[in-house]
Amino acid sequence: MSITSVKPKAYRADEFLSSHNLDRADATVTEIFNLMFGFEIKVIESAADGEIQAECDERTAVVGFSGAMRGSCQIRTTTCAARSIASAMLGGIPIDAEDDSTNDALGELCNMLAGGWKNGVPELSSECALSPPTVIAGRSYKVHVSKPSVNFSRAYRFNSHTLFLTLYREESSLFRA
Amino acid sequence: MKGTVLVVDDSAMMRKVVLRVLKMADVEFESVLEACDGNEALALLRTNQVALIMCDINMPIMSGLQLLQQIKDEKLAVGVPIVMVTTENSEPQVRQAILAGARGYIRKPFTVEHIKNNVKPLLAS
Repeated sequence: MSITSVKPKAYRADEFLSSHNLDRADATVTEIFNLMFGFEIKVIESAADGEIQAECDERTAVVGFSGAMRGSCQIRTTTCAARSIASAMLGGIPIDAEDDSTNDALGELCNMLAGGWKNGVPELSSECALSPPTVIAGRSYKVHVSKPSVNFSRAYRFNSHTLFLTLYREESSLFRA
Repeated sequence: MKGTVLVVDDSAMMRKVVLRVLKMADVEFESVLEACDGNEALALLRTNQVALIMCDINMPIMSGLQLLQQIKDEKLAVGVPIVMVTTENSEPQVRQAILAGARGYIRKPFTVEHIKNNVKPLLAS
């Protein structure tokens, strides 16, 4: 008796970079901010409009993709913005600077964004799994993506805060044509 | 509903959000139990009678789907409605959860209306 496993069909780089996926990302961000936080959010076209203030600490949340596509969903914003998101999730109660809720909220937001985006992609919906979120906090750090990858980024503005979203698709020898 | 609600999610924030939205949807409960994975949930279900379980799918140690499989052996959990609350909503995943015993499925992000439409009918029945 032989056992065969079916590998998911790889999601190609050109498919990943299609304009549909930008639209899906925007729609997912808008849905989550409107439904969960009650915030209006809009895409910022100019990168200069979306620069994060240098004096603020930043936080980055990362959720990994595996299966038909390997890569990650990363969101980056200021600690102040993350606290604002955490507060909104809890119905407007104030959040202390060192409260773990801030990281937890940003991780959950990233999880919902990653899940919402990939659920909208028919090729990935049931063929791609998500990792638990990881949150990084501090100043002057860089999130390094070790493998060759393609990505697309968006910047959004809400309540005078800026949120950056980047989706990465890693090149993998497993999926190379 | 007069009883205990068990919320299972590895995110403490999401557990708070679920409880807050349940209250906003007028789902009343006397007490709350929280678990951060399937193992913790099973331990609580061995010693506590609950009236509703709200459960995430993607959790470390024991996922929500694994919990659904194991919960069938817990006498105190027989007949308790289980509602999955998750970012995962592909058709195979929803089908898998329903076949494993989930009575409801709510996708994150969710609203008070989603809870009213998907949870309250379960409690009424």
